Amino acid sequence: MKRLLLIFVFLGLIISSYGQKLITRDGYIGFFSHTPVEDIKADNNQVASVLDTSTGDLVFQVLIKSFKFQKALMEEHFNENYLESDKFPKSTFSGKITNLKSVDFSKPGTYDVDVEGELTIHGVSKKINAKGSIEVGPSGITANSKFTLSPEEYNITIPGVVRNNIAKSLDVTVITKYAPM
Amino acid sequence: MRIMKKFYRIGLIVLIIVVLGGVFIGIYLFNLKDKDLKEVKPDFALTANDLLNTFEADEPAADSTYLNRIIDVTGIVESVKFGENNAVNVSFKTENPLSAVICTFNSTPDNFRIEPDDTVTIRGELTGFLMDVLLNNCVIVKGP
Repeated sequence: MKRLLLIFVFLGLIISSYGQKLITRDGYIGFFSHTPVEDIKADNNQVASVLDTSTGDLVFQVLIKSFKFQKALMEEHFNENYLESDKFPKSTFSGKITNLKSVDFSKPGTYDVDVEGELTIHGVSKKINAKGSIEVGPSGITANSKFTLSPEEYNITIPGVVRNNIAKSLDVTVITKYAPM
Repeated sequence: MRIMKKFYRIGLIVLIIVVLGGVFIGIYLFNLKDKDLKEVKPDFALTANDLLNTFEADEPAADSTYLNRIIDVTGIVESVKFGENNAVNVSFKTENPLSAVICTFNSTPDNFRIEPDDTVTIRGELTGFLMDVLLNNCVIVKGP
């Protein structure tokens, strides 16, 4: 049922403004945690995202289980103890580029953008703001962003024993190469 | 007295062995990588189209059958995209133009030469369904 709804939403988006929607289903989101004890890095290359170049609407969807870690045990703790990915399999962002006027999608170049919207992780939704850039290049349009987020804000509790191994604030990197829908 | 001393000494040696063993097992587990799926028997083998159809027909049911399972997927390659940090995504054609089955390799295998329109079999761990059915930790079972 949810799937059907999603298809209708996307169909609706296509019909409402044909040719202005950009899509990717293999975008990248990674995060990095640095502490004196250890560095932890995770990569997700299965990010689905839609960008509407006429309104600036921006949607991201990821599966928590698609984040890959260097070590199997980290991945297991991340999924089972911290993010509880069986209970909350998806994370989503739904927002907007607020300074869309400063982006010319028809002219090659790199444009700085401000994005605001609602990020849902671990069943908790928060308003966030992030800086990013839109790169209009010969091979298409790429969106980049780097921002930080803190696990505590999303009710992710990290037990005392490993508290010093995981940073209070994580560096998040987003790279999505879009194609016309 | 002597017997007691001997008893304590043996106890101490056993304790040291147990502690050292525990430490080694701990270090081993801590550094364990994702298992290489080449060494793992698949739970299911099916075509990309059948796999997607199952999810489109009834996602919760498909989840309970296939989620976190090892699956051999066979189909015709739609696209090959190189991602960040040496990852590569191979997506399979299906009858639905809006959805595919996407297999992500954590790092591009040596001599990787899969191209669009090749017929291949890829083994991966099914992580779920967004717009596409997604598999991770993929390895090539049968190349072009």
